[in-house]
Amino acid sequence: MGKLLWANLKMLFRGRQALFWALFFPVMFTVIFGFFFGNQNSNLGTIGFVNQSDSEIAQNLDKTLSESKILELKKEDNLDVAKAMLKKNEIGAIIQIPKDFGKNTPSSSKEIILISDPSNTQTNLGIQGFLQNFTTQLNFQLQNAKPIYSVKVESTADPRLNYFDFVLVGILGLALMNSSVQGIAITMAKYREDKILKRITTTPLKSWKFVIAQVLSRLVVNILQITIILLIGVYGFNAHVHNLGTIIPLALLGGVLFQSIGFAIASASKTTDAAQGLSVVATIPMMFLAGVFFPTDLLPKWLANIVQYLPLAPLLRMIRQAGLESASILTNPKNMIIVVAWIIVALTISMLRFRLSDE
Amino acid sequence: MKNVIEVKNLTKKYGSLEAVKNISFEVQQGEIFGLLGENGAGKTTTLEMIEGLRKPTSGQINVLGKDAYRELNQIKEKIGVQLQSSAYFDDLKLREILELFGSFYRMSLYPSSLLKMVNLQDKANSTIKNLSGGQRQRFSIVAALVNDPQIVFLDEPTTGLDPIARRNLWDIIAKIKKQGKTIILTTHYMEEAENLCDRVAIMDKGEIVAIDKPHKLVESLDNPFKVEFVLQENNPALLENIMRLCNARECDIKTLPGKTAHYEIKLQSQQSLNSALDLVQKEKPESIKVGSATLEDAFIGLTGKSIQDEENGNG
Repeated sequence: MGKLLWANLKMLFRGRQALFWALFFPVMFTVIFGFFFGNQNSNLGTIGFVNQSDSEIAQNLDKTLSESKILELKKEDNLDVAKAMLKKNEIGAIIQIPKDFGKNTPSSSKEIILISDPSNTQTNLGIQGFLQNFTTQLNFQLQNAKPIYSVKVESTADPRLNYFDFVLVGILGLALMNSSVQGIAITMAKYREDKILKRITTTPLKSWKFVIAQVLSRLVVNILQITIILLIGVYGFNAHVHNLGTIIPLALLGGVLFQSIGFAIASASKTTDAAQGLSVVATIPMMFLAGVFFPTDLLPKWLANIVQYLPLAPLLRMIRQAGLESASILTNPKNMIIVVAWIIVALTISMLRFRLSDE
Repeated sequence: MKNVIEVKNLTKKYGSLEAVKNISFEVQQGEIFGLLGENGAGKTTTLEMIEGLRKPTSGQINVLGKDAYRELNQIKEKIGVQLQSSAYFDDLKLREILELFGSFYRMSLYPSSLLKMVNLQDKANSTIKNLSGGQRQRFSIVAALVNDPQIVFLDEPTTGLDPIARRNLWDIIAKIKKQGKTIILTTHYMEEAENLCDRVAIMDKGEIVAIDKPHKLVESLDNPFKVEFVLQENNPALLENIMRLCNARECDIKTLPGKTAHYEIKLQSQQSLNSALDLVQKEKPESIKVGSATLEDAFIGLTGKSIQDEENGNG
């Protein structure tokens, strides 16, 4: 079987188109999402700062903002110039401190003005929170009061987690799904159409050895996919992924899951074209619905209820739990049960219907 | 001669369709045995049942003294199979494919010596897609020899090849026979069967209608002698004369399609052949060809149709 495994690997690496789908496609996704959302460290971007007051409080705010690591401050004297920059998206928002703000005179302004672009939700929320906090502190100080109640935020996840971390795991699952489902389904259908499978049954080779060699060679490709995607994500774009010891076996379980589905599709399709069509039908809805790019919580409840049972969804939930939230995969055993159930279903269909020869 | 294949009362049904109907035959060690028939006659089904690829509905098959159903794995070690129009892995080199298939058997031959045998040694590092049709077919035959089999199955080995590539392949098949191997092949080329096969079985609608040496089949025809000639123009009077001469029953005369005034007469005896020749000579034919009937004539006589009819969609 060693020779067969080796021959399979050679074919996998020589078949450029399949390799493109298996490796370059997810790498491209990782890099593109990395450029957009990687390296974030919850930075709010560049904020315009127009300080028209020379009060002590204004100077304090200036100093606090300048020293803050969550944003970069662009100081500007002229409000109109700042507004023009906001329009050109050079800055994410403007903090304006009106003249006389913080001076102890009845007519002095009591408000800090935040001019924002409504499309920058994340920046707006961040700065609003920051300014609210600042003014609350200030109010307490002036009234000589001490806060009694407060909110303590605890997170189940690494607080540094961002969208890129979420989508990186999604891309990992997507890569495993696409290459394994299509790879197995199309290759097996083509082998059958070309009578290669029939030719193999005329030899003493046992069919289970043929299937195992296929699965093992593709798991090697899966390991390569996982390694490359994680390396680029973590070292290229500062993704925060932990527990490699758990998520790599989980990803390989995913490889086995999608290969079984691939065999089931091959057994259900008469031609290579049919296998290709069926694989697309099986994978495309999962690509968009099962939580690759967006959390399934955002879906309408009835749809989310269905989607959570698709094979890719529980796999991604488990990898995210282990890799991002550092939680045990047994926190929610339902996920594992769904994945194993799908493997059993797909393997049963394959064993009942997939034959190397016609009879 | 020892029998290496014994088929008894073999039947294969697909639903109500009987693809193979209760056939029996033996193949002897070292011979080239041909299964002849038009498309759909049941040749491939028969072959694939012997190879263990299809399960017979009833009947027994014995290959090299072993039961083809219960002892299939032992049989597979000792047979080599070339399937009709099957492909091999696109992304492997010829040498690698032979190594791979060799690894499926307990014993296998070196790829280099195999490739040399079919004159493909220069293509050892090419892939299948870089081969011509004839080269592919040569490769597919030699791939059936990786385990140095005792019996080689070739399913329509020369279909779709040009005449030169076909003759080239005949040489290879003859070479395999010289190594002492038994070959069982299917074909619908009569010339091929006549040239290569020690014995042939003629199949028609799932049945074996005749089985013998090709020349014996030809000799058993009612009218084994044949004259073919072309006249300047149609001459019904001459045909009538010939008919009268040899008692209609003993000769079969017909106008061939295509060329104008192109006739063929099949005759029962040497004597009527001579008389017919005299008559034709007097008409100063443009061309005249005298010979014996061929396997194709035997085939037409036995099945009532020519394979060409079938291929033209008239059969």
